[in-house]
Order: sequence, then structure tokens, then C-alpha cells
Amino acid sequence: MTSFELLLDGFATALTPVNLLYALLGVTLGTIVGVLPGIGPAMTVALLLPITFSVPPASAFIMFAGIYYGGMYGGSTTSILLNTPGESSSMITALEGNKMARRGRAAQALATAAIGSFIAGTIATGLLVMAAPLVVEFAISFSAADYFALAVLAFTMCSAVLSKSLVRGLASLTVGLAIGLVGIDQQTGQDRLVFGVRQLFDGIDVVIIAVGLFALGEALYVASRLRHATPEVIPVGRAFMGKADWKRSWKPWLRGTALGFPIGALPGGGAEIPTFLSYAVEKKLVKQKGEFGKGAIEGVAGPEAANNASAAGTLVPLLTLGLPTSATAAILLAAFQQYGLRPGPQLFDHNPALVWGMVASLFIGNAMLLVLNLPLAPFWAKLLRIPRPYLYAGIVLFAALGVYALNNSWVDLIVLYLLGVLGFAFRRYGLPIAPAVIGVILGPMAEIQLRRAVAIGAGDVSVLVSGPISVTLLAIAALALLAPLLRKLVSWRYAGATRG
Amino acid sequence: MTEERQGFPVGQDGEPHGDSPAPTSSFWTRKSELVLAGVVLALGFVVLIGTADVATGAATFGPGPRFFPVLVGGALLIVGVCYVIDVLRGGHGDPEESEDVDTRAPADWRAVAMVTLVFLGFASLVDLLGWVVAGALLFFGLAFSLGARKPLRTGAIAVVLSFATYLLFVRGLGVTLPAGLLEGVL
Repeated sequence: MTSFELLLDGFATALTPVNLLYALLGVTLGTIVGVLPGIGPAMTVALLLPITFSVPPASAFIMFAGIYYGGMYGGSTTSILLNTPGESSSMITALEGNKMARRGRAAQALATAAIGSFIAGTIATGLLVMAAPLVVEFAISFSAADYFALAVLAFTMCSAVLSKSLVRGLASLTVGLAIGLVGIDQQTGQDRLVFGVRQLFDGIDVVIIAVGLFALGEALYVASRLRHATPEVIPVGRAFMGKADWKRSWKPWLRGTALGFPIGALPGGGAEIPTFLSYAVEKKLVKQKGEFGKGAIEGVAGPEAANNASAAGTLVPLLTLGLPTSATAAILLAAFQQYGLRPGPQLFDHNPALVWGMVASLFIGNAMLLVLNLPLAPFWAKLLRIPRPYLYAGIVLFAALGVYALNNSWVDLIVLYLLGVLGFAFRRYGLPIAPAVIGVILGPMAEIQLRRAVAIGAGDVSVLVSGPISVTLLAIAALALLAPLLRKLVSWRYAGATRG
Repeated sequence: MTEERQGFPVGQDGEPHGDSPAPTSSFWTRKSELVLAGVVLALGFVVLIGTADVATGAATFGPGPRFFPVLVGGALLIVGVCYVIDVLRGGHGDPEESEDVDTRAPADWRAVAMVTLVFLGFASLVDLLGWVVAGALLFFGLAFSLGARKPLRTGAIAVVLSFATYLLFVRGLGVTLPAGLLEGVL
């Protein structure tokens, strides 16, 4: 079957009333958590992991995908109306978007963000449909060594790219890898780093890790330096825009999509970098130079398109290779594991209904989000007025509920608190959280591939660099680590030359 | 419970050094990040020593269950040393920016301590009190710690929320939560 026919089958899965309901639930939840500060799609999906056991996988992933896309839409509302982003991927939107809002053009800013997100999301999902089978075909020949190299590449890229300081990115990653070691070794049944605590034998549940690092970490951090002044939310009506705005927006939408999709698909790409690039490109290309920095619609249209396109891009390596390139993708990978599914070429073979149903639901969810975000923008804006003590107390209440419901064990709550302290320290000192989450979830899989590869090589470690694919991937990974060092060396040399 | 020992120093050691005006505080205020760097380094030792008793097992093919932990532990040590050096040489990470956070404000350790007390109190009492009572106390305590000053309204929201979540999750989704004090009433 061609991927077009498979996609049509996917629509048959996604368009059942029950799955439509899950998609609607997902995009609504996603919009809410995207709008609300302190809580994002990664944590939301993690919290929902345990209660979806009774739900068939296709429905669960339709809901999760809706949360992922919805979070991207919701983040822009916060950026535009509050000047500070609900999600890091909407950081750039705040630059021009909030200035537009202050000049009385909040409705237009929200409209170009929502319509741009819809167009970018739809095109990028189309690109996902085309790209995924190609990657699957390529990945079918991947050996264990190649998969290990791929994981190493993902580790180094996310550590190097997501933080201004390489050592802090790597610290986050290695701490995550260490947490991932806790529990019984799957291959030999021996326990590692459990220190006699019975509850740790199964490892630390990914729900506890994600909720601790994100929710409790955020709550402690906010407690330490809460801004006591009430945030100023710019009032807004229905989102709409006129002909002139359409004319100025459509090219940035397309350019943003072109940047967002491929970068989102790369290890370490994420959603932040394409939004930065898109902003820079639009700033260069804009005709009325004076308007940028004062609320130019191009500066909202481009980055918003870019961050939605990157979400679709992230799904390419996740579904075809089992490789997460963002924190949310890592949690989605954990969700697949909970269902006993392994993303990769086999997933497309064995579970086509699941994969293509999820992809089809992305098209549907995007359309739903457009409807949810254009006329309902004033309603979402109201969420921003929730008093912060209630908001963060509520977030921790749900975090505690999600974790306690796992095993009804207070030990889990203590572990949750300790991970919260870790998340607090990470935020306080500017360590990115995503490498730790990726390390926890991808680490054990990397270990399996590593041991498999070396076992196939009869104990010879050089098997890891015996194929062209693994050598290339490891070389790129090494480059990502060495680039900052090389840059420093060159600048030393340069400084020495000018001085001497 | 090494996790516990690992985690605590960050909060506790940071606390006294955060804003105390003692003469030695200037070094620790500037270099408080050393505590986190030290935790990374210490975690490396924990991983290496904690897995030392993991037998390789002659029956298994290829590398045993200690192979990967040694790599991770080694990486932690290297990264930890580099991190310590970086901090000592004046490197520092910028506190994460978020809309509800004033990155220039001095740290409010009292609020952090209160959140900690409330949460750990909740963890120790939830089995006994049950979800509805303990959850309501958790919400109330946290909201109060974070500056909510209308006890009646906060209390009402706390009771409604914990009651609603109990009904939704236990009755609606079939999740098990303890009824505790309200056993028989709910």
C-alpha cells in the first residue's frame, strides 16, 4: 500500500466518534496547558500515562498528539497577551507579538499565530507523511551499533544545543542517564542502584521523573522568587485579521514551515532554534524596516509557523527510529514503551492503524485547534488571570495525584520531592531539563543496543565503528562536543596573535 | 535511599548561604552552584561504587550489567570535574526565566521551606488521612505558602478540588486512592 492509502485508512481510525472525542480532549487540554505557565505538554502527557492504561493505544496517542500540537498553539496566546512565554518555543513570539498587542493589535497577532500554526502544522504533517516511509526504508538496514550511535548523537546534540553552556547540558544529560540506571537490569535480572529500597526495583517510574523535574521543580523555583505583582494581561476580543495582514503573513508562514520541519526532525533541533532563525530571516526580509521591534506581524507569523512545523518534524525520528529530539517526544516514547510498543520501522509494519491513525488525527487536531483558538481566544486569555498561588498549588496537587495513584506509595512521593529539588536546582543554575529527560528514557534503550552490538561483535568494542552509518553519526556527535572547545581554542589563538 | 542524600544538600546547603550576611558568605553566594556541581561529581562515585557489587555473570554474552553504568559513572566524573572547574573559573548558568519568576529578586527561602514542609507532611499523612483530606490540606498549605491570603476562599477551593479529583479519578477513571478518614462516608 502507498502511504496515501495508509493515510486514508488512518483517517478511518481517527474519524470514529470515540477517537474524535479523544482528539478534541487532547487539543483542548493541550491549549490549556500551553496557555498556563508552569505546566507544559511534556508533563501533561506524563501525568496522563497511568490513566490511559484502560484506553486502546490508538486513542491514547491521538490524545497525546493533540496535547503536543495544542501546547504549541496555547503558548503563543500567553506570549502575545502577557509578554512572557508559556512555553520556551514561544519565546520569540513575545518579542513582536506583545508589542503588537500593546499597540491594540492583539486580535491580529493571535490570528496570524493561529492561522500560521494551522497552515504550518498541516503542511508539516503532510511532509511527515511523505518523509516517514523514506526514513523507515533507510532505517530497516540499521544495526544495533547504528542505533547506539544514533542515541549518542541525540544525547550530545541535545546537551550541546539546548544550553548556552556545554558542561551544564552534559551535566543534565549524565544525571538523567544515572537516574535511568536505577532498577533491575532487563537482560540479567540483577538490581542496580536500588540500595535495598523495594520500590526502586522496577526503576523510577517515568511519571515520577517527568512530574518531579517539571511540576514540582517549577513550583519550588517559583516559590523561591515569585513575582508578587499581578501580571498584566492585555484584553482581547475575537482573533481576526484583515487583508493587509494576510498579505504580510503568508510568506513568513511558509518560510517558517520550511525552517521548522527539517530542524525539528534533527537530533537536538527542537522547537526553539527554528523560531529564532525564522525571526532573524523575517527581520532581514521585511520591507518596512522601522516596524520590527515595535510589533511587526511578520515576527509573529514566521516563528509561530516554525514552532508548529517543528512539532511535526520531531515526530519523524520519533516514529521511524524511536529517537526523541525533545522532552515531549521523550515522554511520548515512554508512552509507547508502556504499551509494549517500540517505535521504529517495525512499528510501521506491525501497527499501521496506530501510526497512521495518529498522523491522520494530527490533520484533524490542527483543524480543531484553529476553531478553538480563533473565536475562543478571549476565553483562553481568562486562564492567565488565575491567581498564581492557586495555579501552582493546583499543579502540585495534580502532580501528587498522578504520582500517588501509581502505587499508592508514599516512597514515590518522597522520590518525587527529591526530583523536584533537582529540577529546582537545574532551573536556578540554568541547566536545561530536556537532556535529563531524554537521558532517562533513551539511556536504557541505548544500553540495550550497545550490549547487543558488542555481543554481536563477540566482545570486540570496535564493532561500534565498523559501519559507515555509525561512524558518520558518532563523528557528528563528537563534532557537537568538540565544536565549543575548538571555537574557544581558535579565539585564544586569535587573541594571542593580535596581542603578540 | 542514596537519592535522598543526593538531593538534600542542594536545598539545605543553599539555604543558609543564600542571603546570610556572614563574612564567608560572599564566596558561597557567588559559588553556590558548586553544590550542584558537587552533586554531579558525587553521583559519579555513587554510580561507580553502587554498581561495584553487580556481578558480571559468566553466562551472559558480551558486556554485562556493569558495562554501561561504568560508562555513565565515568562520564559523570568527567563532567562533574569540568563543571566544578567551570564554576571556579567564574562560569555561571543564568536562572531560567519564566513569567512568574523575578530572576533579580533575592531567593525567598522561607517560601521554599514552607512548600517543602507542606509537601513532605502531605507525603507522610496521605495514607492515614486519605486523599480528600490530605489533598485539601496540600492545596491549602501550598497556596498559603505561595502567598494566598483569603483563608476561607482558599479553603473552599481546596476542598472542592480534592473532592472533585477524588470523584473523577476513583469513580470516573477507576484509579485507586485511599479514602482514609472519610472511609465509609465516600
